[in-house]
Amino acid sequence: MAEKDIDAPDWVDQDLLTREEAAERLDEEIVLVRERLARLEADRSAPDAGSAIEMVRRRLAAMEQVRSTLLEPAAH
Amino acid sequence: MPLQDHMQLISVDDHVIEPKTLWTDRLPKKYHEAGPHIIEKDMSHSGGDEGLSKALIAASRNGKEGEEPQAPRLAEVWSYEGRIYPNIGLNAVAGKKPQEYGMEPTRYSDMLPGCYDIKARIADMDIDGVQAAMCFPSFPRFSGTAFLEHEDPELALLCVQAWNDFILDEWSAYAPGRIIPMIMLPLWDPQAAAKEIYRCAAKGARAITFPENTVSLGLPSFYTDHWDPVFRAAEETQMPLCMHFGSSGKPPITSPEAPMAVMIALFGTNSMDATADLLFSPVFYKFPKLKVALSEGGIGWMPYLLERIDLTWERHRWYQNVNKEVRPSDLFREHMYGCYIDDFEGIARREQIGVDNILWECDYPHSDSNWPNSREYAAKLLVDVPDDEAQKIVELNARKLFNFPRL
Repeated sequence: MAEKDIDAPDWVDQDLLTREEAAERLDEEIVLVRERLARLEADRSAPDAGSAIEMVRRRLAAMEQVRSTLLEPAAH
Repeated sequence: MPLQDHMQLISVDDHVIEPKTLWTDRLPKKYHEAGPHIIEKDMSHSGGDEGLSKALIAASRNGKEGEEPQAPRLAEVWSYEGRIYPNIGLNAVAGKKPQEYGMEPTRYSDMLPGCYDIKARIADMDIDGVQAAMCFPSFPRFSGTAFLEHEDPELALLCVQAWNDFILDEWSAYAPGRIIPMIMLPLWDPQAAAKEIYRCAAKGARAITFPENTVSLGLPSFYTDHWDPVFRAAEETQMPLCMHFGSSGKPPITSPEAPMAVMIALFGTNSMDATADLLFSPVFYKFPKLKVALSEGGIGWMPYLLERIDLTWERHRWYQNVNKEVRPSDLFREHMYGCYIDDFEGIARREQIGVDNILWECDYPHSDSNWPNSREYAAKLLVDVPDDEAQKIVELNARKLFNFPRL
């Protein structure tokens, strides 16, 4: 038994991703993707290395873009 | 690598948080006060009038009675005919311990913008590696049952139509090929519901959200002919009924003292109930082309339940009012679809379910989704699945079921 129950004992299907939660997830993923990109760029021996690098770059840029918008005050 | 780049992920269970002006933009002016609109309200000591979110907020506050909120703030909540329906958010802020998390009524400015803004939604789908998504309602509940509580039936019908028009004309239309248009129904009137199905089919709708069980909502069951106009219209327009778990408004609560974890662990049993009801009811015999998807119900339980239902049918069909000729598991594979987010057991036993009867889902923007890593999680789950089966599960089954071809 846990020392103390979490106040919201588990997450059901209604609670939303907040900006903070989303930002935290993006920060973690951006670190991982940057590392993956560095590995791909260091070893271009695979036959489709160029397209793989391009796809990872695009996703990284998209994540960084969304992450930057989460720093701004919301329009709503 | 079963999940390959050319395979497109289609999530058959995401959610839209209705934009603030969805109804005020569409309802006649005389209904702006009674119709759904956003108001600011101090919810420090309230959970609103909506059952499940009220229970969640209460559970989140359990043990904090007597404590004043650290910073009471105004939440943005829906007001509909004077009743209050909050949007709730997981207060999981970076740096906080899980023990300090809470769940509170929230404001739009707290939410990830993709919750309510289609441009941001598409960007979030791109990051997540999701090509297309189908979105269930939020404030009206998963199958629009909030409008069953109406005082004014004319307003309620207009509210349903406004939500459908928003989905068809705005949310889906923004990015063709990215959103599978789903509609809700005026559930209090099957004839009006059928009419709405035909109206929306003509505008491009592809799916209908419908309760997993109607009895708990005070409505006639699947065993009656009450729903025949709806089922006939769905069949004729080739729109599947999507039954999201929890849409019956009857969560599987085993005892008043049970932690909410029990209810959440058992949510899939609602989909089990719906499966047994539908397979032993006259529905699929009367409407042989009708399809049903069990949204977020999971799939791991399906092999067991189908075996159990078949055994029951073998031994006990002779003295009951059930079909004597068609084996229920055959009926299942002709008509029903299971939907999963994380379900290793179900994927491992996919042959017993039917590879053609499994759909993938994401559940964005709820915090139990794997965003922004849905594609990676999907790939891990499918790692031992042959390529052709993986593509059926993540893409092709959904394209066929919802008549939603690649553009």
